Amino acid sequence: MIELGKTDNRNAPTRLLQPGVLSSLSNLELVAKAVVEGFVMGLHRSPKYGFSQEFVEYRAYTEGDDPRHIDWNVYSRTDKTFIKLFKGETNSHLMLLLDTSASMGFASASVSKLQYGKYLAASLAYLASRQHDAIGCMTFNKEILEFRPPTSKSGTLHGVIHTLDSAEPIEGTALHKPFTRFREHVKKRGLVAVISDFYCQPEDLQDNVQPLTSHGQDVILFHLLDPGEMYPDIKESTLYEDMETGEAIEVSPIFMKQDYPAKVKAHIAAIQKAAQGMNADHVLIDTSQPLDRALHSYLTFREKRA
Amino acid sequence: MSFISPLFLIGLLGIALPIWLHRLQTHATEREKFSSIMFMEQSQQRIHIRRKLKYLVLMALRILFLLLLVLAFTRPVFFVAPQAAVTENTTHHVIVVDTSFSMREGNSFAQAITEAEAVLDTMEPDDIASLYSASGSVTLINPVTADPAVIEAGLASLNPDNGRLDIGAMIAALDTLIESSQANFLIHFVSDFQQSGQAVRFADMVPDVINGRPVSLNIHQVKVEDVPNWSVASIEVTEVDQVRVGLLNNSEETQETEKSISLAVNDVVQQTLTESFSAPSGGVTYLTFNNIVFEAGDNRLDVSMSPNDSLAEDDQRHSVFDNSPPAPVILLTANPDSLAVTYITTALETAPRGYEVQLQNVNGFDPRVLQRYPWIIVDDIGSVNDILAQELRSYIDGGGAILAAVGERSAARSTLPVGNQPISGGLAFSRNTSYSVQRVNTSHPALDRAVGWNNLNISRVLPIQATTQDNVLISLNGDLPLLMEQNIGLGRLLLLNTSLDNSWSDLPVKPVFVSFIAEAARHLSNEEQLVREQTVNSFLQLGQSGGAAGQVYDPDGNRLLSLADTTRAQNILLEQTGYYRITTLGGDVLVAVNPDPRESDLSLMPAQALQNWENMVATSAGAAGTANTIAVSAVEEEPVSLEIWRVLLVLLAVIVLMESLLGNRYLRFTTGNS
Repeated sequence: MIELGKTDNRNAPTRLLQPGVLSSLSNLELVAKAVVEGFVMGLHRSPKYGFSQEFVEYRAYTEGDDPRHIDWNVYSRTDKTFIKLFKGETNSHLMLLLDTSASMGFASASVSKLQYGKYLAASLAYLASRQHDAIGCMTFNKEILEFRPPTSKSGTLHGVIHTLDSAEPIEGTALHKPFTRFREHVKKRGLVAVISDFYCQPEDLQDNVQPLTSHGQDVILFHLLDPGEMYPDIKESTLYEDMETGEAIEVSPIFMKQDYPAKVKAHIAAIQKAAQGMNADHVLIDTSQPLDRALHSYLTFREKRA
Repeated sequence: MSFISPLFLIGLLGIALPIWLHRLQTHATEREKFSSIMFMEQSQQRIHIRRKLKYLVLMALRILFLLLLVLAFTRPVFFVAPQAAVTENTTHHVIVVDTSFSMREGNSFAQAITEAEAVLDTMEPDDIASLYSASGSVTLINPVTADPAVIEAGLASLNPDNGRLDIGAMIAALDTLIESSQANFLIHFVSDFQQSGQAVRFADMVPDVINGRPVSLNIHQVKVEDVPNWSVASIEVTEVDQVRVGLLNNSEETQETEKSISLAVNDVVQQTLTESFSAPSGGVTYLTFNNIVFEAGDNRLDVSMSPNDSLAEDDQRHSVFDNSPPAPVILLTANPDSLAVTYITTALETAPRGYEVQLQNVNGFDPRVLQRYPWIIVDDIGSVNDILAQELRSYIDGGGAILAAVGERSAARSTLPVGNQPISGGLAFSRNTSYSVQRVNTSHPALDRAVGWNNLNISRVLPIQATTQDNVLISLNGDLPLLMEQNIGLGRLLLLNTSLDNSWSDLPVKPVFVSFIAEAARHLSNEEQLVREQTVNSFLQLGQSGGAAGQVYDPDGNRLLSLADTTRAQNILLEQTGYYRITTLGGDVLVAVNPDPRESDLSLMPAQALQNWENMVATSAGAAGTANTIAVSAVEEEPVSLEIWRVLLVLLAVIVLMESLLGNRYLRFTTGNS
């Protein structure tokens, strides 16, 4: 586990663009492309991670497959349509669940957690599309705000990115209803990436995510936190207003300096423990850092579950 | 309350501005949004409430600032009921205490204060009182009040000064000062009642019936017997190393005494004489100090007499001796042996300032030396050739001055040199007509002290036509000018239209000639004719000859004039004894100031005269009092208006300071938070 505000350089090269720079790119697709291309270039130099498309076998074309993958040479010889299957391509699908509650709108610097979540989700979608995975997405707060079922059809990436791009931070978070509906709509096994700040009780998270893992979904939790949330720096007592509930509370600088970081760390540990308990991955992301760590975690996760 | 400028109340609309701004600020900065407060705990101290209160205090200060600013501009006036209400039985005790120089004698002044305090003990509950001091002028110390303690405090603040009391002038001043009051007046006059302070006309010492109210006089005399008193009456430098000091016997009888008299020059005691002498009443005994050494310029002469008598302050005297060398002045002439030269030289050498006349022949005169002299004389302007005339005009243009006359050579010209005044008719000037002076401009500095111009016998003048630049100061019959002045650049030309010998007029042999030459010299050289020895409460007249007043320092070394006032003519009241110093471009000048010698005469007014005075006032009061008894009950004192804008300005300054401090703290808080 890394600490927010501190860069973890153990595995992640930091050649990717900083979030602040990404925020200057107006097009979310362009952001995703810039992030992933830079990330992939780094991978090619890495001996640990392979990202090849090694041919494995042919499979008969069935309705729903991408026609671009039909091997036309085989068709010309046999008049039958086959599609190529490559190593690492497991016909998996990736569902991106982006929390768009009001708390995700918090930003101590130029990029809010929601904006960072959009970059991350778009980059994952772009990466998945390069691997011909079916991708879908869902934005939620207390309700499901928008839902795109996973598909590998052309144009899916654009649709997903458009959905992500239009998300706004509003209202509070309640996992029960969105996740229940999600389970009802997505029966097929796949990868589920939940991007949220997880300001909820770990038990609540467990109650709602556990059913997903129980049904065979591979879940990865991207836990986004702003450095200002972990180490708030105030010099005098401040009246803080909760962005979701509107409640206000006056806190002293001593509390915020000594007690508050410990409470946040305990919460993160509890979330992490809950994730372990339901066989999900938990990745803590500092929104002031580049997306390397998140993408690495995703690839590791995907390779592990493939 | 009322407002002198109520239109400024529109400015109260400006109060909306801080309210609006603070409301915006409150929304903007009161709370800070945070993603979730689920891990936060309430602070023990409700600091935000204090901050909110502080914020409200800041807003209140700003509103108060605007309110006070508007009120200061509207100039509110409060009408306060007079402290002392007047009833039918009210008597207004007007207490007048003599603070003149003579009250320094013995314990006279302490006795006067005791007498005045005794008056306060006689006041009835309905009575009111006011306090005045009387010396060279009458000063209101305490306005009308019913509280004797206020008057007692005023009495405690009084001290004798160096002025002279004239009872007639004092009564006239009192008439003016208390004429607006409405009660029955009882004037308590506490004094030593010197004979010398008595008015010339006895009627002048009777106050008018003020506002139709009866006036009574109570005399409180602090001395009943004459006190012998010697004073230093005069200091005179009779020779270049000899000083004569006059000692005056102010007693009613011949006095014989032995005194030590010291003479100090510039604070250095040069001689002390101890002699026995006597003098009759009002008589002066002179002592002579020989072999006295003076410095160049002004010398301070201080004479003191010991042992002191009961009025010690007049046992010393100050004087100034000007030991400056005579000022040089050029006399341009074509004939050094003429009578004109003799007359002018004599007149200048006898002038108070003293001038050293340097004769220069107009032929071959080197005009380059002109710059060394502030002014020169030309006995016949017609003797000046055109080249020299141009040089003289340039000299005047640069700030020099010329006193010129006409003569035989001028009569031969059609236009006078330097001033370029045309002579109509050329040589056709009168030989047999007698001229008389028609008009003298006595406001001119060169003529303000000269009298006798009308007695001149003038037989010959030139028919000079004054130009537009000429200011005719003395005109003759037939509209002919006798004396005129022309300003040329920074300087001036003073032209006398008659000769300086006695062939054209008898001016040079008349007394007016000496004073005229002296005044003209003073005027043309921009020197002040200061009286070097003056009495307290006289005026020092500066800048009267057209120059700047210069800075004046009192005997304590304090500046008396602002920088702007030093450039203008000034009349300065001399209130202290000692040496006043006047600093001008020409150097420092000293003026010695001594008490009025009449204050040293401690002879008292006869008891009968004092009784008559009281009776005369009582008689006058009885006539007026009967007619006005009923009117008293209807009289109401006018409310006193009280302007408070000055107080508002002080409050404004305090609020600006508080707002700055509080605003600064608030600013520090918000930036720290961000």
